[in-house]
Amino acid sequence: MTAPTVAPAEVSPQGAAMTGSPGQARAAWGMLAPNLLLIGVFLAGPLAWAFAMAFQDKRSFGKGTWSGLDNLSRLFGDDVFWRALLNTAIFTAATVPVGVLLGLGLALLMNKALPGRGVFRTIVYLPIVVSSLVTSLVGLLLFDESVGIINGILRDLGLADVSWQSDGALAMTSVVVMTLWSRIGFSMVIYIAALQDVDPQVIEAAEVDGARAWQVTRRVVVPLLRPTTFFLVLVNLIWSFQVFDVVYVMTNGGPGYSTTMLVTYAYDEGFGPARNFGYGATVGVVLFVIIGALTLLQLRRNARAEA
Amino acid sequence: MGAVSLSGCAGLTRRVSSTSSGSTDRVTMQVYGTDVETKVYARLAEQFSSERGVTVDLTVVPFADFATGVDAGLLSGTAPDVFRVDYPTMGLYASTDQLLDVTDPLEELAGDVRPSLLRAVTYGKRLYGVPQHVDTSALVYRPDVLRDAGVGAVPDRPEDAWSWEEFGDVASKVRDASPEDGSAFAVNWQAAGAFRWLTWLFMAGGHLYDEKLEKAVLDDDAGVRALEFTRSFFDNEWVPRSTSTKSPTYPDAQFTAGRLGMLFAGNFLVPAFADTIGDRFEYAVTYQPRDERRASELGGNAIVATRDSGNPELAAELLVYLGSSDAMKQFCEASVLLPTRESLAAQDLDFAVGGDLMGVYADQVSTIEDRDVADVTTPTFAEVNVDLANELESCFLGDSSPQDTLGAIADKVDAAALLNDGAAP
Repeated sequence: MTAPTVAPAEVSPQGAAMTGSPGQARAAWGMLAPNLLLIGVFLAGPLAWAFAMAFQDKRSFGKGTWSGLDNLSRLFGDDVFWRALLNTAIFTAATVPVGVLLGLGLALLMNKALPGRGVFRTIVYLPIVVSSLVTSLVGLLLFDESVGIINGILRDLGLADVSWQSDGALAMTSVVVMTLWSRIGFSMVIYIAALQDVDPQVIEAAEVDGARAWQVTRRVVVPLLRPTTFFLVLVNLIWSFQVFDVVYVMTNGGPGYSTTMLVTYAYDEGFGPARNFGYGATVGVVLFVIIGALTLLQLRRNARAEA
Repeated sequence: MGAVSLSGCAGLTRRVSSTSSGSTDRVTMQVYGTDVETKVYARLAEQFSSERGVTVDLTVVPFADFATGVDAGLLSGTAPDVFRVDYPTMGLYASTDQLLDVTDPLEELAGDVRPSLLRAVTYGKRLYGVPQHVDTSALVYRPDVLRDAGVGAVPDRPEDAWSWEEFGDVASKVRDASPEDGSAFAVNWQAAGAFRWLTWLFMAGGHLYDEKLEKAVLDDDAGVRALEFTRSFFDNEWVPRSTSTKSPTYPDAQFTAGRLGMLFAGNFLVPAFADTIGDRFEYAVTYQPRDERRASELGGNAIVATRDSGNPELAAELLVYLGSSDAMKQFCEASVLLPTRESLAAQDLDFAVGGDLMGVYADQVSTIEDRDVADVTTPTFAEVNVDLANELESCFLGDSSPQDTLGAIADKVDAAALLNDGAAP
């Protein structure tokens, strides 16, 4: 089966479809201006400033001095940076596929006429509505090693405590679990919306051809959801690389550096007691480059798959 | 008629200063603290407002956010005229010329404060703030738990403080007698409290910096001994593993929940203990253990004014008022904190709660030496404090050896020390 294609818009020989009268252009710019202004002031400007600071020795007070590649050089020799990069990669690998797959599974389940479907959808989506800081505090309440709810239940059952905060792998697990809990609702809602657009006739045709329910899902529905999956993978990838609050609240990057991520490290360096704006900006710029490269890679893969 | 306005927890989104150039009857002030402390600040601001016929705009922010807000305010010219700051962070502001020089207005106060404590607010021989109070840690314990564990007498005189070996024996007994979900004790070195590990270094006879504050010297025998002993807290399962230096939660909740036999706790927690423990169990306080010497950490906060305050005269007056004997007495008695004025320290203050515990804390403060203060008030100590938290945890919970850990800390201290120019007395 091939994906539906869209015919290119007809363009007049003079390219009239791409241009308009000067009045229309002014109106267009007028409508774009507020957004462009906001993007310039709050995104492009700070981004350019961060790039500039990455090449400076700049602390919170006093003028910065140009330091060339010193910050980058320090970064490449910084064990904590490499550990944070590895942790971020592990966290991303654990959260993106699982989060998207769980969202798909829940969407397929909730897309059927189940009793109380609306209630279940709301429950799964609720963590998205609540502030991420609140969900992180809930995570702390659950996974606190000494007074947390989970270890309390384990104790009541006569089982041993689990070292959620003092064992690196388990601390990472707790952070991943809370992240998944707060994210799968979003994936589910997007998939449910996409499932509404799947042509019932296509499914019917597959069933007439003898496909079973699993084969319909695996061979027909899931491939038709490819654009949605691409979007969710991309968004989750970016979110995972930007993870901050859940780590900051639940583990503070510990034990040791076991859950230190790139953003928490950039924050600690730039806005923590060190107030080393230059080095913090360098970590941020490297993160920007990594996310940009991964996004481009995904775009190219998707374009090849669509072709 | 003066007035005071209080904005609770305004956080980072609110502009904390309303300072306007030429305004002579309004001053802005930002503080953080417990409910009790912020109420006393409001009362003192009201008193100052009434006496002087001016307005004090008081803003309360969470401790975790105060520095970010102050930094942004200083950079954008909207910082509060007067703000509260902890001693380890103050060095940064003083060394970067962000604070108002109040040497002359505070001359009377300076004559009544112990030199070692005055050093915490001094930079380059100039005074930049009021050392409003000092607090420190002592060993809070449950007599019933220690009794049941077979621990005999608990030191009630400073000279009888347990040696490290004796304390280790006590910890083992309490651990063995504890229920499955309990532990012998915990140390309060979490969050920004990693510097409290230095108390053990000082006890062992070591120091963080050399006397010129140019180079780390903690990786000597004293440092190794201190780190080996504190690491043994975890190896011997005397403390819960969740109470290391990077733990996101404080251990006092475990003590009040009845899971610990002992807790190294600051005197500022005494009101909270009175509230949360009530009559559920008995608790008392004894001296921190000793090794080569006795030691304790310099905790506490100062009140400072910004150099570019729109109203420096009034800001300085407010500082003088807050540093006055009467205001300091009110603040410390209500908040159960220790005064920095020697004239007040010599009195029997009428603390709101836990007055019977404060004698031990006052004695612990007397063990703080000049060089201990110098170690924790360098301009870069706040970032060294973060390095301490990271590296110590790698040793306590990870595989890093004491020697490697101390070496890593020393490298970071040395790198940061390059920025400490002018901090030495």
